Amino acid sequence: MASTHRISLLGGLLFGLVLGGCAGATASDPPPAARAPAIGHVFVIVLENQDFASSFGPDSRAPYLSRTLPAQGALLRQYYATGHASLDNYIAMISGQAASPQTRADCQYYADFKSTGTTADGQAIGDGCVYPASVKTLADQLAAAGLRWKGYMEDMGNDPARESATCGHPRLGDKDLTHTAQAPSAAVPAGDQYATRHNPFVYFHSIVDSPACAANVVNLRLLPQDLQSADTTANFNFITPNLCNDGHDAPCADRQPGGLVSADRFLQKWVPLITASPAFRKDGLLVVLFDEGGYTLARDAAGRVTLTFKGEFCCAQQPGPNLTAFPQVVQIRPTITLVSQSYGGDRVGAVLLSPLIAPGTVSDVPYNHYSLLRSVEDWFGLGHLGYAAQPEVAAFGKDVFAAQ
Amino acid sequence: MTLRPRRLRAALAGALWLAWPAAHPAADESAAIGRLLFFDPSLSASGRLSCAGCHNPKRAFAPDNALAVQRGGADGRRAGLRAVPSLAYVLPRTPAWHQPRASSQSERLLENDSEPAGGFGWDGRFDTLRAQAAFPLFDPAEMANANIDDFAARLRRAPYAGRLRALCGAAFEDAAALGACALAALEQFELQDPAFHPFSSKYDRVLDGKAAFTAQEARGKRLFDDPRRGNCASCHDDTPGADGSHPLFTDFRFAALGVPRNPEIPANADAAYFDLGLCGPLRHDRTGDRPSCGLFKTPGLRNVATRRAFFHNGRFHTLREALRFYSERDGRPAKWYPRAADGTLDLFDDLPRDLRGNVDRSDEPLTRKAGDPPVFSEAELDDLEAFLNTLTDGYQGTAP
Repeated sequence: MASTHRISLLGGLLFGLVLGGCAGATASDPPPAARAPAIGHVFVIVLENQDFASSFGPDSRAPYLSRTLPAQGALLRQYYATGHASLDNYIAMISGQAASPQTRADCQYYADFKSTGTTADGQAIGDGCVYPASVKTLADQLAAAGLRWKGYMEDMGNDPARESATCGHPRLGDKDLTHTAQAPSAAVPAGDQYATRHNPFVYFHSIVDSPACAANVVNLRLLPQDLQSADTTANFNFITPNLCNDGHDAPCADRQPGGLVSADRFLQKWVPLITASPAFRKDGLLVVLFDEGGYTLARDAAGRVTLTFKGEFCCAQQPGPNLTAFPQVVQIRPTITLVSQSYGGDRVGAVLLSPLIAPGTVSDVPYNHYSLLRSVEDWFGLGHLGYAAQPEVAAFGKDVFAAQ
Repeated sequence: MTLRPRRLRAALAGALWLAWPAAHPAADESAAIGRLLFFDPSLSASGRLSCAGCHNPKRAFAPDNALAVQRGGADGRRAGLRAVPSLAYVLPRTPAWHQPRASSQSERLLENDSEPAGGFGWDGRFDTLRAQAAFPLFDPAEMANANIDDFAARLRRAPYAGRLRALCGAAFEDAAALGACALAALEQFELQDPAFHPFSSKYDRVLDGKAAFTAQEARGKRLFDDPRRGNCASCHDDTPGADGSHPLFTDFRFAALGVPRNPEIPANADAAYFDLGLCGPLRHDRTGDRPSCGLFKTPGLRNVATRRAFFHNGRFHTLREALRFYSERDGRPAKWYPRAADGTLDLFDDLPRDLRGNVDRSDEPLTRKAGDPPVFSEAELDDLEAFLNTLTDGYQGTAP
């Protein structure tokens, strides 16, 4: 259906845009500021660990994601993650904070972020996982503006001994046992594949120290009832599937296939529920994206493995104040070398659905997780947090919405 | 197709599992009848062995003797292959066997989240207690029912047959369905009866703030937890749950510890016989999976001080010996392993030579090299034992 696609790159060029480059390219300018579209309800679904070619390429194992959804909305072909591994990406999406060594390692221990200061562009300096209350998030901004937010975490609290059913996270200082999915047992018949590191809200004291966390960070099973009317639907809804349905595992603890196959099934179930909701039909927008991209793997004749993360980025993304210089080479084991060529998260792509987006829109304007944050902030008339405030970071623009 | 006896038992277990719904409408009566079944020796071919014969409630549902493996069968003399585990505490929370893998090859290499875990038995081969219970009932070395008709006939002769008929309904007349009903009752008893999880140890009282560790017990716990020393808690998890639930001291994962071969097990008289845990001989679905060979499920440690046979092969008979093995396995290997015919030390002799690389040599305290001093001093072994003694149920101490 290529003929029906509206290739907004061309349109953007006609409007005189200078498109943002990727890693190694020259600094880029964002698309010109435009009046924010009238979006009142945002839904974000985050999937795991696939690069653009795997997710949206012709051989994708997720046909609903790669073909059905783009035909209903906009495919952002140049959407970039901001880091490796998972957690630093999730944190970037709601706070604009860059990675710390701990968040870049997915915080095996749920420990405080020890901050020694703040940069001029709003980055907390230090290392750790749970940011001090002075570091604000999109949730804080929304609440201050009288708007509502929710985090829907699949499986959270299935096993109350593993994590609470609301605002679930380890105790400060404890090892995060949710790094491993839990299979079904007599005591927990559904199993528990919730992963704290895929729930960004619980990494900010401004949220976890507030009653709002228990009220707003809840199990995904509560979403259908909240979708019943626009009044019961939060303005910002962040949805994290479990470790199987977000594609992280394959096979999964519950013996489901996982990977893109399970992710596609998840989307086939939940996307129609969301897009049929009164809030979405009124003024909604759904984003489906991946936290981080892929890697290359090389094995030499002796069986030694080199994993290489290109770490490509767009939009003049900065590394932040807390990481050492790139490239980084780490000997994980005698036979495994990890090479991080740069600090970006590589190209992952994203799909946007909205009544305000023309079906079949395709954009090649570069965006990243900070762009997502900036977009939501613009839609709700909020200021820009952290690296969402960078002048090179653009909110989703006319390339996405103008075709409507 | 002709099924060999072991495969027949496995097939029976599977068929019985599938034949009975998980959520039985009369669970409480089912559990009550399950209790009768559990203590009934007439369900065995010898007429002398009940489930409780090996799983004694007074020993945390573990054996009341120091035998490495128990004896059973029609004549009561046939030896089993593995030490009998305790049934206390772990049953409701034992996850079904699983081995999730990160879909990303990079994460598979970088993370440790793909270890096998769960399932009932030392090798995790049973997903449910119903399936597990069928094994001893039909094992020729245990209760030795010849087949499902044999088992059903014993059930119909039991003094509680009337209650069983009322519980099982029409299933009572069909041997396979009756067997499934009985196994479901056993399962309900094991899951529901509070005797399986009293949480009455000193450790529990300490967690509840109603007792305090002695200085020695506290030192032992620090050693137990310290990832650079005992590192015991990395597998025998002692972290209270998010809801305040008390820990079970296992993560249900598998490990190959290189426990020495035990000559007390008659099957070991055959030099070609090896118990490879996850990859056989009792488990059949991972036979060719070499990295799985020699791995056994981590047991819970509650009431560990009351055990008289330790590890899957019952090689050690006191807690001190078991702890000393961890302390000196690598530093003083000649103390644990025999010499081979060529005079070399036959390290990890309970595994075939080509599979001995699976033995854990990277996690503390199993990282030492020959000649290194013991990981723990005698005083530290005392401390560890003192802490592990706090896990014994029935603590009668007073508030601090």
